[in-house]
Amino acid sequence: MIYRTMMAGLAGLAFASGAWAHSDAMGVVKERMDAMKAMGEAVKRIKPMMSGEAGYDADAVRAAARAIAGEAGAAMVEKFPEGSGGGVSEALPAVWSDAARFEALARDLEIAARGLERAAGNGPHGAGHMSGGMSGMMGGSSGMMGGMMGGDHMRGAMSVEHIGQMPADGAFVMMTQVCSACHDRFREEK
Amino acid sequence: MRRGIVLVLALAGGVAVAGGALALWPIGAPVALDALDGDAQRGAYLARAGGCIACHSDPGSGRPALTGGAAIETGFGRFVPPNITPHPGAGIGAWSIEDFARALRQGIAPDGSPYYPAFPYPFYGGLSDQDIADLWAAFQTVPAQDMAAEGHAIRFPFNLRPGLKLWRAAYADGPPAQPDPERTDAWNRGRWLVNGLAHCGACHTDRNMLGGRKPGRHLAGSDDLPGGGRAPALTPAALGQAGWDAHALAFALKSGVKPDGDTFGGGMGEVVRHGTAWLRPDDRAAIAAYLLEGE
Repeated sequence: MIYRTMMAGLAGLAFASGAWAHSDAMGVVKERMDAMKAMGEAVKRIKPMMSGEAGYDADAVRAAARAIAGEAGAAMVEKFPEGSGGGVSEALPAVWSDAARFEALARDLEIAARGLERAAGNGPHGAGHMSGGMSGMMGGSSGMMGGMMGGDHMRGAMSVEHIGQMPADGAFVMMTQVCSACHDRFREEK
Repeated sequence: MRRGIVLVLALAGGVAVAGGALALWPIGAPVALDALDGDAQRGAYLARAGGCIACHSDPGSGRPALTGGAAIETGFGRFVPPNITPHPGAGIGAWSIEDFARALRQGIAPDGSPYYPAFPYPFYGGLSDQDIADLWAAFQTVPAQDMAAEGHAIRFPFNLRPGLKLWRAAYADGPPAQPDPERTDAWNRGRWLVNGLAHCGACHTDRNMLGGRKPGRHLAGSDDLPGGGRAPALTPAALGQAGWDAHALAFALKSGVKPDGDTFGGGMGEVVRHGTAWLRPDDRAAIAAYLLEGE
């Protein structure tokens, strides 16, 4: 009993200290944490529609995509001023030492989110397929190379118009892969 | 005093003899591949699942795919994934299919020297002869690129390759597990991918001081990845606690989205982007089925 109480107390403490990291953030660090959280919530709202677990609602997808686009690009970059790392921030120093790449990914996110907003009316293709990319990788003599065009090579190759013609789930995956491309490089995993 | 010198000389002699013996200790087994017809499309699929393309390419560098990956900084030194295009000098163009098979499944270079386990060959031992032939055929379709990747920069004493033979003896895996007829096909396929080609355990299993995966810590997570990264535990209990179910996990291997709406980071984004996102949906579902059910 005592043991169980102790463990519950410890778990509570661990939870409280996790929450503390965010509640302790101030100023621009808090602003960007809130912005990231809002984008995560928008992703969470529409993900079940993209994975086929919930009925599709184009208006909800448009709204979520707009919310994300509004926090991406310049709006995101300006929440990472020079010298705002360290402390409770999860931003890695690379945000500033490799600023060009960080800013490019922030722009990519805005392009992908605006593309998703347009693609919302197309509806899903089913279970998150990237049918175009798939056949590209598997196709003929370019078998090994087709796929290299995906992911963070999106830059320059894809526009809002292109993405807007994709099935909504393909556009969604393209967008969320930009999120994690940036997390890979610029976020500390705590 | 004199006795001390004799002792030092004897020790030095012993080390020299042991080092010489280690250098001469033969490793590996001969390979005989029948004249198999390789299917380049299937091979390209395996190359993606196995991370060949992800690790041996550096999209940020502007260099063509497969001409060498981004360096991996570890406690042992700096490893640079080499050019594996079919260029005879800079890549693997001068290799035979037998060289290729030995490199992948046994971790031995064409000149007989052992590879560092930064190359996850211990996970590729379960590839069949047909898998090898398909991969080989796929690599032949890649344009040869005359760009040698930078060499490794490994710290002493890890730069002495014969020492890797000891590592192999201590940490090399046993023969790959046979399919379990009591389980579903999806579970068996998932196990083959997770513990083999997709080499999830290369990051998600903790390693000891010498870079050997700790027995008993299979997929239990690691907080000591190169560059200080962390990989969460993938055990059924840990996955359940973090809110994963089969559907969410399979979809995350395509999208990178976690149950709470956050997305992967720490290198897993790249694994998804260049690897698992390209798999067939049934293979992603198989990975999820195996991970959530466990052994």
